[in-house]
Amino acid sequence: MGLLEIRGLSVAYGSIKALHGIDLRIDEGEIVSLLGANGAGKSTTLRAVSRLLPFAEGDILFQGTSLAGLPPHRVVSLGIAHVPEGRGIFPSLTVLENLKLATWTRSRKGSAAALYRPVFDLFPRLEERKSQPAGTLSGGEQQMLALGRAMMTDCRVMLLDEPSMGLSPILVKEVFRAIREINAKGTTVLLVEQNAGMALKIAHRGYVLANGRIVLAGSAEELARDQRVKEAYLGNRAG
Amino acid sequence: MLDTVIQQLLNAAQLGAVYALIALGYTMVYGTIRLINFAHGDIFMLGGYIGFLLVTAVSGMPLVVMMPLAMLLTALVGMLIERVAYRRLRNAQRMSLVITALGVGIFLENLVRLLVGPQARQLPAQLPNGVVELFNGVVVTEDKILIIFISLALMVILWLFVHRTLMGTAMRAVADNKDAVQLMGINLNMVIAVTFAIGSALAAAGGIFFGQAYSIDPYMGIDLGWKAFIAAVIGGIGSIEGAVLGSFLLAGVEVLTVAYLSSNMKNGIAFGLLILLLLLRPNGIMGRPELKKV
Repeated sequence: MGLLEIRGLSVAYGSIKALHGIDLRIDEGEIVSLLGANGAGKSTTLRAVSRLLPFAEGDILFQGTSLAGLPPHRVVSLGIAHVPEGRGIFPSLTVLENLKLATWTRSRKGSAAALYRPVFDLFPRLEERKSQPAGTLSGGEQQMLALGRAMMTDCRVMLLDEPSMGLSPILVKEVFRAIREINAKGTTVLLVEQNAGMALKIAHRGYVLANGRIVLAGSAEELARDQRVKEAYLGNRAG
Repeated sequence: MLDTVIQQLLNAAQLGAVYALIALGYTMVYGTIRLINFAHGDIFMLGGYIGFLLVTAVSGMPLVVMMPLAMLLTALVGMLIERVAYRRLRNAQRMSLVITALGVGIFLENLVRLLVGPQARQLPAQLPNGVVELFNGVVVTEDKILIIFISLALMVILWLFVHRTLMGTAMRAVADNKDAVQLMGINLNMVIAVTFAIGSALAAAGGIFFGQAYSIDPYMGIDLGWKAFIAAVIGGIGSIEGAVLGSFLLAGVEVLTVAYLSSNMKNGIAFGLLILLLLLRPNGIMGRPELKKV
């Protein structure tokens, strides 16, 4: 059984169905990439997992336990962190306050400094700017903060929604290196990306969503070689 | 001359303190769920009545017991109102929520009128009302000083809570992004309930002080509620510092208008000030411009 399993998941916005019974499995320690065009249902899938969206049919299992009916904050305390599209940082709070809020479900015993250490080791820029309002950070730093917050929840699975969005190629590389490092330390990652080239470089496996259905699945190498993926998602992108 | 000016300023500070205790609830609730809680003035009224009923039921109950107890009970009512009337509508159209708040206010006014009666009541004077000489011949009453002092102390405690505790940080975060708050593992409903509880408790303190300084009646929350709402808007709704600043500013303008111009012009000047300020600073004195969602 996978760490996170999505079975026959359907989600509708009113009468418009965004997902038509998708199946998806993520094993412990993997980076799984979820690819697809705009509006294919990638973000919807992540929002259903973190329970920001109710789902109509199917089920989502985390370590064999159904997430159906749980409020979003309970999903986090189970060990699933979601870095939403647009990063979802709190612009009026300082960097440190942003990180601190993410420790809500954890016991905060021990020194506070030790709590932030892994995040500041991975993103030294955040430590330099820890007293600054998060709204004054650059786009890349905001993405680092969003990843740092997810780390602070002490999660086992990270759901990342378009972490490369709006970033320069250099920053994209930096963010992807950080994701790889987070994964190397034992966190499983579900990575939603339009930048398929980059995503498949770091992913173990991938799925391709189109119009709310999984149309392709396989190892990252298979997908990167697949003619349909090349044409649709790798075509004119600098990988 | 100096004596009357000081007396007027103290009157303004006392009225401003009551406005501020109400305005904080408006601004905190708006900050978290973007609702102008039009029932809030009536929660202020209810707080005064709960205090009144407590001292009537247990004669001789000292203020140091009565006030925290009344604040606690009013906080529970505030949470109950949020749970029963507002929570389901949180994602509904804004107008449904506003109309519901108006309805809750009318309900509270009539409930109190039915249970306690429509006539104005006097809260038994529980604050010492001796006089203190400030300096050569300028005297002030102790109750006025205490009302101002305790109110300011409550505001300082609130500020510390909002800026120094994790729950306070969460309350500020809700204003930024509700979804993201939940993604931090925070129970959004709980944070909103706490916001209502604190706002209601502060309003209750205001109601009790108002009852000590003047009197209470079932409709006192309408006028005072509007004034406190204006104060919150002048200061910049959503901002705690702004609500306090706007309250003292509005009370100062009102009291000085009554003292040196005419009491008939009080509301005209107050509302005129609101219009003028909003023309110059549409987001209020301390308000930040609405951030566009990306």
